[in-house]
Amino acid sequence: MGKVLILNGSPRAPRSNSKRYGALFARYCALETETMELLRSDPKEVAARMEEADNVLLVFPLYADAIPVPVLRTFKALEARPPQNRPTISILVNCGFMEPEQSDVAVAMVELFCKRQGYPMGSVLEIGSGEAILDQPFRFLAQWRIKALARAVSGGRHRRLRVTMPISKRFFLKASTKYWLDYGARSGITGAQMATMEIEGEP
Amino acid sequence: MKILLSDRPLSLDLGDRKDLVYFDLSRMKIANCVGCFGCWTKTPGRCVIRDDGVKVYPCLAKSDRALYVSRVKYGGYDTVMKTMLERAIPVQQAFIRLLDGETHHVQRSVVPKRATIVAYGVQDEEEKALFRRLVARNAKNMSFQSYDIHFTDEESVEEVVRREVEAWERS
Repeated sequence: MGKVLILNGSPRAPRSNSKRYGALFARYCALETETMELLRSDPKEVAARMEEADNVLLVFPLYADAIPVPVLRTFKALEARPPQNRPTISILVNCGFMEPEQSDVAVAMVELFCKRQGYPMGSVLEIGSGEAILDQPFRFLAQWRIKALARAVSGGRHRRLRVTMPISKRFFLKASTKYWLDYGARSGITGAQMATMEIEGEP
Repeated sequence: MKILLSDRPLSLDLGDRKDLVYFDLSRMKIANCVGCFGCWTKTPGRCVIRDDGVKVYPCLAKSDRALYVSRVKYGGYDTVMKTMLERAIPVQQAFIRLLDGETHHVQRSVVPKRATIVAYGVQDEEEKALFRRLVARNAKNMSFQSYDIHFTDEESVEEVVRREVEAWERS
């Protein structure tokens, strides 16, 4: 089996959770891996690397309920200049909401691209509470699922996996509020300031 | 306020309607969201990228009627519209609430709106169905009180938009 090309589709690729998820996948995967950031990569270079790969793992965050713009741009470029080789495409999508199924539409968009452009679909991992889970005690659950995804990809199997924090939604609201309050505090912004109803300074 | 947001130029006579604002996104300079969360945690309600995008989302927030005109690609909005939608997150807070039993972001001063989407470039029924699923998801995150989707071909976009705007005038 050949290489897995990990494509980081995050709009904040160098500092992204997608980068961390991709690195975990690479650690657990039995196959050779190579990582590219779609944000900074020439689509021609992405297509060239796809010629050498048996598998692609597309890692991206859910943006406005769908695939983010860097992934969309890459798909359009691959459609315009398709590679000869069509690697199997697997997905690791994370969303900040608790429910991993909120990413179902984004997954279906990738499936539609693959169907139209002739790429075999591989496995899918949808991560809920993906903004924070790697920094919480439940990180091991995400790690287990990423291991399972890595085994599925390297074994040529097609699995559909999901993971999120095993807590009540009420507790998730409390935990996420604390997460964001701490995030704002690092920039000296209070909870009240973050909760402003004003947009561009207008009520 | 009513807003018409298009990913292509439209030759429409909108008269001197003060309550309608029209943005041709294809002629605006709107960079990609960089996912910095600055609009939530550093300058709440304001995007740190000070380009044309910051003119659009305050109007979106204030509008009770919104008409989106977009090409559809892989069952979603094509690049021009999608770039703007991603840049519109300053209208939300970082904080999470429960809506219909699901977790979603708290909205700032966003007027619930009746939305119409004029979608062109769809290739088949599968793509239409997927786009409908996407808009149903958007409804929860973009404060859609109700929505209609009009699928049309590229040549008929202006006519469909014209009819919709005329319907607004009658309502």
